[in-house]
Amino acid sequence: MTCEEARIQMLGEAEGKDFAAHLSSCEACRNEVARIGTLWQSLDLLPVEEPSGKVRERFYEMLAAYRQGLASAESRKAYRWGQLAAAAAMLAVGLGVGYVARGSGQPPAEVSQLREEVASMRQLVALSLMQQQSASERLRGVSWAYQAEPSDREVLGALVTAVNQDTNVNVRLAAVDALRRFAASPEIRRAVVDALPAQTTPLVQVALIDLLVDFKDRNAAEALTKLAANRDVNDGVRQQAQWALEKLQ
Amino acid sequence: MKKLMMLSAAALLAAPAALPQDPQKATVAFSDPSRPKKLVVDTMFGSVTVRGYNGQEVIVETTGRAGIRPRGRKEAEPPAGMHRIGGSYSGVEITEESNTVKVSNGPSPFAAADLVIQVPVQTSVSVNARVGDSVTIENITGEIEANNMNGQVTITNVSGSVMAHSMNGKIVANINSVTPDKAMSFSTMNGEIDVTLPASIKANVKLKTDHGDIFTDFDIKLDSKAAPPQVEDNRKRGGRYRIQFDRGTSGTINGGGPEIQFTTFNGSILIHKK
Repeated sequence: MTCEEARIQMLGEAEGKDFAAHLSSCEACRNEVARIGTLWQSLDLLPVEEPSGKVRERFYEMLAAYRQGLASAESRKAYRWGQLAAAAAMLAVGLGVGYVARGSGQPPAEVSQLREEVASMRQLVALSLMQQQSASERLRGVSWAYQAEPSDREVLGALVTAVNQDTNVNVRLAAVDALRRFAASPEIRRAVVDALPAQTTPLVQVALIDLLVDFKDRNAAEALTKLAANRDVNDGVRQQAQWALEKLQ
Repeated sequence: MKKLMMLSAAALLAAPAALPQDPQKATVAFSDPSRPKKLVVDTMFGSVTVRGYNGQEVIVETTGRAGIRPRGRKEAEPPAGMHRIGGSYSGVEITEESNTVKVSNGPSPFAAADLVIQVPVQTSVSVNARVGDSVTIENITGEIEANNMNGQVTITNVSGSVMAHSMNGKIVANINSVTPDKAMSFSTMNGEIDVTLPASIKANVKLKTDHGDIFTDFDIKLDSKAAPPQVEDNRKRGGRYRIQFDRGTSGTINGGGPEIQFTTFNGSILIHKK
């Protein structure tokens, strides 16, 4: 047996008479076997990475929020009388809150806590749906994002990721549309400008250009000029970029 | 369980009597036909037809084309009296794993083939035609996704939910019934969107066309709080006065429900009541 054949055996099941005979005659290969042995032993000593307790917690949180979301979607379809009663109750609560708030200067803790809980439930539903494998579920996630608080940074981040990375054109289009309500933040304007050159689907490029016009974002001029001048870009998109530049002047 | 099958030169050579452009056929079973099934088609060149049928397996028929060659490499003329029966410029690969059947181009990214795929009616279907020709999906109940670069997307006699995009083609969809709570979306850059929906559908619709009209025979209640028309007044600077209405419109059908988005740049939108 040659050293080369012996080395191949070392990587797999190192056994057999030939191999043993070769080892007894070759010092280099004996050293190699010893070295590999130590390596395996030290690898065994490394602690096995355990998923942290947070993973489980977060999963059940998401599941609960998802169920709650489904339930609330169901109940939205429920009876008009129920809605009417709820509206009346809300009016009463509103009047009460207004009365109390007038006294204390700020809404009572329970109301703001309730509002926070609803917002975080919507956030969880939107975020968990946007991570689904099915494109139609992700599209649903984007429609949930419309109901998130405009200040919700996690939902905002997920929408920007969807615009830049979702494999489905229709999900990307819906995500661009959903970003419209985050217009107040300068960060989001930046993200939309940055998304423009990276996007290759003409229809999504047009949607991003329209969004920049709606934002009245003058900082977008440079990116739009580049796009309008780029001959590799779709003609319709270039015309739209030109139109946007005129609008933003 | 994973099955791999190549319909390529070898398979074709096994039947030397085959006429040129005769379809080649392969059948693949799902690991567990009682669980949700999915078909994923990812092709470069050629047309794709997916049809639901009354069976449990996936039947793939492919008609090879000469294929598109990399720049600088010319297509070889068949020698006198001979015809092409395959090669690395045609060919299709089929795999099955965890109840998902994937059909894609074989070893060459430049391969071209026209595909006709029959699947059980209850199957979710996702088709991505990267360069594409026509994409047709019919008789399916499930989640349907279609993406096409250069041809029409036609989706008929289906139930479930649909998401369709074409860059340069028309989108035609005729939907029998829609899974409650599912969002849908239809989009094309340079084509018309022609969608037929069940009369009883409850939906929130978003419609946007940059250069086209929107028609429907549904009673769509348009949102009153839609963006007010924009007024540009440049007359003081010797310019013109212009009022522009938003190109996007939104509204509700039958009181509203899940969102359906229609987006086109150079085309009209038609929404028919079934």
